[in-house]
Amino acid sequence: MISKIAARVPNGGLIAFFVVMTLFFCFFARNFATATNVENILVGYSFIAIVALGQMFPIMARGIDLSIGSILALAGMVVFDAILIFELPGWIAIILAIAAATLAGTLNGLFIVILSLQPFVATLATLAGYRGLVYAISGRQLYPELATTPLRDPSLAWFNEYYDVGAWFGLDAFITTPWIPASFLVLLVVMVFLYVLLAKTPYGTALKATGGNKEAARLAGLRVRMIEVSAYAMSGFLAGIAAVLLVARLTTSTEALGIGMELTAIAAAVIGGTRLLGGQGNVLGPVLGAFFLGVVLIGLTLMGISQFVQQMLTGAILLAAVGYDAIRRGAGQ
Amino acid sequence: MSGEILLETREVSKRFGNFVALKSASIAVTAGKVIGFVGSNGAGKSTLIKVITGAHAPSSGSVHVRGKEVHKADPALMRALGVACIYQHSSLVATLSVIENVFLGREMRGRLGLVSHKAQRVQLQEIMDDFGIHVDPDVLVSTLTPVKQKEVEILKALVANADVILMDEPTAWLSLSEVSNLHTTIRKLTAANKGVVYISHVLDEVFQICDDITILRDGTMAWTGPEADIDRPKLVNLMVGEALGEASRAAVTSERRPRGTGTVKLATDKLSKQGVFHDVTFEVNAGEILCFAGLIGSRRSEVVKCLFGDDKPTSGTIISKGGVKTFGSPAEAIANGICLVPEDRHTEGLCLSHTTFENTVIPSLVEVTNRGVLMRKDMDAMCTRQITSLNILPPDPAKVVGQMSGGNQQKVLLGKWIEKDPEVLILDEPTVGVDVGAKAEIYAIIRKLRDEGAAVIVVSSDLEEVMTIADRILVFSNGEITTEFDAGEVTNDLLIHAIGGGESA
Ligand SMILES: Nc1ncnc2c1ncn2[C@@H]1O[C@H](COP(=O)(O)OP(=O)(O)OP(=O)(O)O)[C@@H](O)[C@H]1O
Ligand SMILES: [Mg+2]
Repeated sequence: MISKIAARVPNGGLIAFFVVMTLFFCFFARNFATATNVENILVGYSFIAIVALGQMFPIMARGIDLSIGSILALAGMVVFDAILIFELPGWIAIILAIAAATLAGTLNGLFIVILSLQPFVATLATLAGYRGLVYAISGRQLYPELATTPLRDPSLAWFNEYYDVGAWFGLDAFITTPWIPASFLVLLVVMVFLYVLLAKTPYGTALKATGGNKEAARLAGLRVRMIEVSAYAMSGFLAGIAAVLLVARLTTSTEALGIGMELTAIAAAVIGGTRLLGGQGNVLGPVLGAFFLGVVLIGLTLMGISQFVQQMLTGAILLAAVGYDAIRRGAGQ
Repeated sequence: MSGEILLETREVSKRFGNFVALKSASIAVTAGKVIGFVGSNGAGKSTLIKVITGAHAPSSGSVHVRGKEVHKADPALMRALGVACIYQHSSLVATLSVIENVFLGREMRGRLGLVSHKAQRVQLQEIMDDFGIHVDPDVLVSTLTPVKQKEVEILKALVANADVILMDEPTAWLSLSEVSNLHTTIRKLTAANKGVVYISHVLDEVFQICDDITILRDGTMAWTGPEADIDRPKLVNLMVGEALGEASRAAVTSERRPRGTGTVKLATDKLSKQGVFHDVTFEVNAGEILCFAGLIGSRRSEVVKCLFGDDKPTSGTIISKGGVKTFGSPAEAIANGICLVPEDRHTEGLCLSHTTFENTVIPSLVEVTNRGVLMRKDMDAMCTRQITSLNILPPDPAKVVGQMSGGNQQKVLLGKWIEKDPEVLILDEPTVGVDVGAKAEIYAIIRKLRDEGAAVIVVSSDLEEVMTIADRILVFSNGEITTEFDAGEVTNDLLIHAIGGGESA
C-alpha cells in the first residue's frame, strides 16, 4: 500500500530519505531545528536549486551544460558593471544580466546544433571561454577603486528581504516559523513556471522526446534542433536568475563566482532522479536534490564534521542516489 | 471520394552518396485502396516511404498531394497534409508513456493553449474501442513488448486522422491472430476512404490485403498493377530473379533428418525459471535442426537466454559436453561451443554505427590475435569470407551496418557467429524482416552448418519457416513444451492446431 503510493509520487524515495536525514539532524545536530537555520538553508540553496533546474534541461535533451558556472559569473559581472560603471538602475542591470546569460546559453546550443559538437565538448570549451570573457569585462580590473564598493540598489536589495509568511497564516501563535527569504519565493515562481512548461505545454513532451529518441522526435515532425538549442538557452536563463540572487546576497561579484557550480548542479539534478541518459525529468527532483545536499552539508557542519569528510559524503550520496535508481529500474523490468 | 488519387510520387530518385537507392519511382495512392510494395531487402521500399513522409529529401522528382506538388517536404509538413507512417524501425520514444507517444507533436490543446490531457485520454479511448486495440495509456513504452509497441505505433497513425497511412513491415513482430486484427483495422480504414501503403515480406499477407502491388527491384519499379493480375511464382521471380526464386521454392522440399547423427550436443532436464517457464526438457543432436515453434510471447527467447548463460534458471539442469553445466555468463557458454543469434538485431545483436568488418570480428577477437596483437590480415580474411559465403550486400567491409537493409543486417549478424564455428547454434527469429531470396540463402547456410555436424536450434514464430527448415519441432505454449513432432509427419494444419491461439492465415 505504502509502496504503491510511493510509486505514484515522483521522487518518493528521495522525499522519504530527505525526511529521515532531516529528522536525524534535528536530533543530533545542535541548532539544526531552529528557524534561523532553516532560513540559512533556504537562502543558501535556493539559487543552487535554480541552477540545478536549469541543468535539468540539457540533461533531459540528452546533453549536459558544463559552462553554467562561467555563465553565472558572466551574469554577475554584468550586474556589477551595469550598476557601478554605467550607473544604471538595478532592474535594468538585472534584465541585462539575465539576457546575457540566456544569450550565452543559446550560443552553447547553436554550437552544438550547427557544428554538430558533443555537448560535453562544446560546453567544456565555453566553460573556459565565458570565464575568460568575465575577466575581460570585469569592472574590478578596469576600475580597481570600484572593487570594494558594495552593490547597493533597491531592486537588488529586495532579494535579501524576508517575509514572515507564518504570521500571514496565523501560524506564529502556535510555533516559531522561519521567515521566508525572497530568493526562495523566486524559486517557487520559477518552479511553477517550469512545471507548467514541462507538464502542460507540448514543449515539455517535445523536449523529453528529443532526449529519449531524437530520430523518432524528428519523424514526429518536431523541430529537434530548435528544441535542443532551447534547452541550453533555458539553462543559461536560469543561471542568470541564480546569478542575480547570488550577487544580491554577496552585494558584489567576482571573477571567480560560481567556479565548480556545474558539478553541484549536476549532482543535485542527478540526486533528484534526472536520468543522465535523457528523456526524463520533473521539476521537483533537482530542487529536492539541491536542498537535500544543503541539509546534509549544513547538518554536518553543525555537528562539527570536517570539510573533507563532507566532500566525501557528498560523493557517497551521489553514488547511492544513482545506484539506487539503477537498481530500482533494473528490478522494474 | 473513392478512387481519388490522394498522393503521388513522380519519377522520384534518391541517392546516398554515389549509391542510387531509388530510381524514378512513380506510384499513386488511391482513396479506399491498399497498395503493397514488395521487393527484396535493400530494394528501396523504406527509402520510397521515407521520401513520401519527408524524412528523406528526394534527389530528383516530386511528391504530389491531391494533385498539388509539395515543395520542401519535411515530416512536419507531410503530417499536416495528412500523411502518417508506421516506420519499419520503431519510432517511439521509450522514455515517454503510451499516450504521450501517441499524441507526440500533435497534442490536443485546451484553455490557454495548454495540453488537455483529459481530451487526449477520451479520444484515445474512443479510437482503441473502435479498432479493438487495448493498451494501458499510462505505462512507459520501454516496458511494453514489441507487439504492444507496434500497436502503439498504429494508434499513433490512427489518432493523426491521416488520409494516407504508410505501414512499413507492420506485421514483422505480430502473431497470426494479431495480423488478422491489423487487417481488419486496415479494411476499416479503406472503408473510410483512406489510402494505405502496405509493406511486408510475408507474401501471403500481401496477396490477402492489397488491391494493387508495386514490385521494386534494385531501386527501380519492376512491375506495378492490380493484385489479381499476378501470381506468387511470377511475383517472386520479378522480386529476386529466376534463380533465387527457384531456390526459395526448392527449400521447402529438402530432406529432413530428425535427431541428426544421434549424438546429443545439448540437453536440459526440467529446466525452469520461476514464473517464466517450467519443466523444459529436451535434447538437440549433432546434425539436426530443432525448431521451437509457438506464439510470440510463449517464452522461447527466455529459455534460449538461459541456455546461453545470459539469464539464470531457478531449477533444472543444462547438460553440455557430457556434464551438467551452469553458465554464469555468455562467455562461458561460448567457451562450450554454444552461440546465440539474438532476436532483436538492433538492440542486442549488432553495433549499428559500426561497420560490417567490426561487427564480424568482435566475437572472434581471440582467434585473430597473435601474442596479444590483432592480426589485420586474418581479420580481413575473416570478414571477406563471410561477405562472400553469405552474399552480404553491399559487399563492402567498411559499410556502416545501420545503413544496410534489414536482410543484410541479419546476414552480418549470422556471419559474426558462424565465424566462431559453433557446435550448438541457437537462432532466435532469424528471418524477421528478411526477403524471400535472402531467406532461402539463410536457410541454405543453416542447412550447411547442420550438414557439417552442428546442432541447430531455431526459435521461430513464422509457421512457413518452421515447416521449411525444421527436422524436429517442439511446440511451446506459455513456457511449457506441449507437443513434439518430427518434421516429416506434420502438416500445416496440425501445427497450427498445436500452437493454438491463431487462426489459419
Ligand atoms: N541513410 C542511408 N545512407 C546510405 N545508404 C542507405 C541509407 N538508407 C538506406 N540506404 C541504402 O539504400 C538501399 C535501400 O534501402 P531500403 O531501406 O529502402 O531497403 P528496403 O527495401 O526497405 O529493404 P528491407 O526489406 O530490408 O527493409 C539499401 O541498399 C541501403 O543500404
Ligand atoms: Mg525497409
